[in-house]
Amino acid sequence: MTNSKARPKDAKAGEVSAEIYSELRITALQAQTRRHFLRTLGSGLGTLFVGTALAQYAKPGKEFARSESAALDFTRDPSSPLSELPPQFSAKVRRVIYLHMAGAPSQLELFEHKPDLKRLDGEDCPASFLAGKRFAFISGVPKLLGSQYPFHQVGESGHWISDRLPHLEQHLDDICFIKSMRTDQFNHAPAQLLVQTGNARLGYPSFGSWVLYGIGTENQNLPGFIVLLSGGKSPDGGKQLWSSGFLPSVYQGVQCRSHGEPVLYLDNPPGTSRSLRREMLDAIDKINQQTYATFGNPETITRIAQYEMAFRMQMDATDAMDIHKEPEFVRAKYGAKPGESSFANNCLVARRLAERGVRFIQLYHWGWDSHGADAKEALNLGFADRCREVDQPTAALLADLKQRGMLEDTLVVWGGEFGRTPMRENRNGQEMKYVGRDHNPGAFTIWLAGGGVKPGITHGQTDEMGYEIVKDPVEIRDLHATMLYLLGFDHHKLNYSFQGLEQKLTSVKPARVVSEILA
Amino acid sequence: MTAPGRRLLQEYRRGLLLLLPIFIVVALLVFLPPDGRERAEWMQFVGRFHPLVVHFPIALVLLVPVFQLVGRRPQFSYLRASCGFLLGLATFAATAAATLGWCLGRSGGFSGPLVTQHMWGGVLVTLTCGLCWLSRGRLSQSETAFGISLAIAVMLVAWTGYRGGQLSLGADHLTEHMPAGLRHVLGVSDRRTASSKADPNTFYGARVQPIFGARCVSCHGPDKHKADLRLDTYQGVMRGGKDGPVVQAGNTQGSDLLRRIALPANHDDFMPKGKKALSSDEVKLIELWIGAGASDTLAKDSIKNAPGDSSASNAVAEIIFPETDPAAVRIMRSAIAPEVAKLQKRFPNILDYESRSSADLRLNASILGAKFGDNDLADFGAVAEHITIADFSRTSITDRSAFTIAGMKRLRVLRLTNTATTDATLQRLSALDQLESLNLFGTQVTSAVLPAISKLPKLAHLYAGQTSISRESVVSGGLAGKVVF
Repeated sequence: MTNSKARPKDAKAGEVSAEIYSELRITALQAQTRRHFLRTLGSGLGTLFVGTALAQYAKPGKEFARSESAALDFTRDPSSPLSELPPQFSAKVRRVIYLHMAGAPSQLELFEHKPDLKRLDGEDCPASFLAGKRFAFISGVPKLLGSQYPFHQVGESGHWISDRLPHLEQHLDDICFIKSMRTDQFNHAPAQLLVQTGNARLGYPSFGSWVLYGIGTENQNLPGFIVLLSGGKSPDGGKQLWSSGFLPSVYQGVQCRSHGEPVLYLDNPPGTSRSLRREMLDAIDKINQQTYATFGNPETITRIAQYEMAFRMQMDATDAMDIHKEPEFVRAKYGAKPGESSFANNCLVARRLAERGVRFIQLYHWGWDSHGADAKEALNLGFADRCREVDQPTAALLADLKQRGMLEDTLVVWGGEFGRTPMRENRNGQEMKYVGRDHNPGAFTIWLAGGGVKPGITHGQTDEMGYEIVKDPVEIRDLHATMLYLLGFDHHKLNYSFQGLEQKLTSVKPARVVSEILA
Repeated sequence: MTAPGRRLLQEYRRGLLLLLPIFIVVALLVFLPPDGRERAEWMQFVGRFHPLVVHFPIALVLLVPVFQLVGRRPQFSYLRASCGFLLGLATFAATAAATLGWCLGRSGGFSGPLVTQHMWGGVLVTLTCGLCWLSRGRLSQSETAFGISLAIAVMLVAWTGYRGGQLSLGADHLTEHMPAGLRHVLGVSDRRTASSKADPNTFYGARVQPIFGARCVSCHGPDKHKADLRLDTYQGVMRGGKDGPVVQAGNTQGSDLLRRIALPANHDDFMPKGKKALSSDEVKLIELWIGAGASDTLAKDSIKNAPGDSSASNAVAEIIFPETDPAAVRIMRSAIAPEVAKLQKRFPNILDYESRSSADLRLNASILGAKFGDNDLADFGAVAEHITIADFSRTSITDRSAFTIAGMKRLRVLRLTNTATTDATLQRLSALDQLESLNLFGTQVTSAVLPAISKLPKLAHLYAGQTSISRESVVSGGLAGKVVF
């Protein structure tokens, strides 16, 4: 070692020890002779040979390991957990807009045309309808209830539809109905959880979280999974509906407000400049990095990523959510009025977000729980208002997506969490003041439109009363498997190790891709 | 025979004696050529030594010019003296190798133009080698003749060796892993990206080949041909593998392919090995196809009651999830992977493969908005032909990018929504014969481009909302029903 540079007197102990170490290493290297070299070379080559020669005997084990590890790899650079990954196979759908009608709209007042039920309106419900069934409120012998609204056929597809959705009915040729959806939950919160997370219990990741985990998101300046609420109340399932469950929390949905700041406290407080904000974040980042280096908790990385995204969002989110930026005629098409917290505004925002590469957009519109307990819940009053609130915006969203060519690779899903009974609700066995229906988990209708879905068709069928499925039942997990297939995944392969299981969205029961509705 | 003739014969007796075995080999080749049938085991056993022995004469022949050249220097002149010996040895070795080669070719089930070429190449090498030896020994005064025949011998060795390599390692064994840049310069096409498609109107093309494509070709395809079997083309299916044909037309009992896919998954002979068994419908389809004569011309709907048939009422085609073979994907991507990685680093999140099993690219520049311009797009030239979906919505690209876009020859979807693109770009996109969806929403494009656009053969959707294209202009012509306003 020839380097005998004078050290500053106040050199730290760590530096000294490092130098001693490198000095020792060089001395050791100098002690190496040609004989050492030849000996290492000889034995080294020999070891290499033996290693490769013996490797073949280890093969059976290796083969086993490989067939086991057919699982897909979703690991990413920890500093960009939302970065894009290609799907398993070529996907028809790049983004999803899920319009969840919280409270479960009555299919019998919208899409299920049942003339026989109308004919028997007011008759006592047959006993076979009640045997072995549990209801939320119906008791005793309820009366059958025909549709409250007239039906007519529209479009080339000849779908039947009631008169409540005059705007949407112009788009039925782009829509695929599943009239044989089924669930095993008859209360709102668990049923909504089942629809959105594939499981009726708390703690499971939302569909949107799985999608973000699977393919990430394109626009790193916006959350990849955005939730917008309207209807005056949060859905019964609460924030669990867009939680990331056991997936890293960076994949959870971000609830945005449709007026004001999209996310509360997103803007800098008065007197704080963007550069000051940047410096502050850099300092916090440094501390968080140290924490991560010490404890290795991925949630720390999530936190860093969230801070960074919030910083980038300050520019882009405000712009994306600002429907003032849309021309007046577009706003009019949706019936959107800036400043309101309405489904119309949310639909317009959803289109703007979809354009900007947001992967999963969830809209909840509350107020469909038409039991008939009060005017707001009455099929002939509040229900009609809900229809008015969603009809025009939904139609405008479909039209807009179609016109902009986005319906090619966007999947729009519309539906509630279960259906409603063909019997009139009779709370406590009494005839009620308003007309309503109870929950029916046995059959309900949802519709899909967009990429990869056959337009203008109906899948599945219920009996003449619209009470039970008679053809092609579709479970929630089947719907999920189908949606994942459209997004380019085998639902068995999109999984995450948790509690000793390869967890997946469709859970443990076999799920089927509903190939009949695929274009 | 004349006196000088006899003298010549005397003089060359040894040489002619040497040529005798060569003539015998030639006679064997002419009268008993390789015909694709397998023969006696011992002959195959001996024949298998051909690839081993053949390197001996190759090395010897190549040594001769080296010795000749180096021997020009006085201090190495002794090398030249050994050239005669080398050539003699080479001739003997070449004769032996040719004989073994015939054994292999005749008995090992070989046939085809490659074999014929390699075979005659080998004979010519042996002959030229012998002639070199003779001319070296006897006509040492004629340096030129010797030089020329030596050069011919070397060239023949190279050509024959290449053909032999093609026989054992595949037709493109030298260029298979050629870097994309070099490939481009030399104009060598990439076989792996060009795929042969069966006619979708035949039963084979519509029903059978897709099953092979989804379930078999990851091992028995262009990149791997396990058991020497290729199921990616009809010819490959009918040719069979190392154990002979796997499909016997009309004979479902004798078709090994059908037997193997119908076995229980834990059987030793089960195929696809280590993967999920084919569904009963898939097996049934293949059985019906073989039973009907295993033809590649039989019309799509000529077999009645085939499973999953649209004519059969209640059969529903279940979704088969395509298998991904990471190794095959890596090979497919090898030509563009470095360039893609570079671009992904420069432009994060806008360029990616269409899927984990694909080498096609998806470019979504709309995420960058106005920050993405013509100069940025120009950098994608190297991967342009692999881009199948390109979204330039709201970017600041202009007509200057027309050339780059026109180079994306495999584009299926092109989105120019809300860009400054004008008719000039659209007029130049005639080469995009795969284009299915063209989005011009919110551009200044006018009806003048419609004739050019209507010539795109696969176009199914044209988005012309908020453009200067008028509804009246598309009422007639090829675009009617395809335009969305």
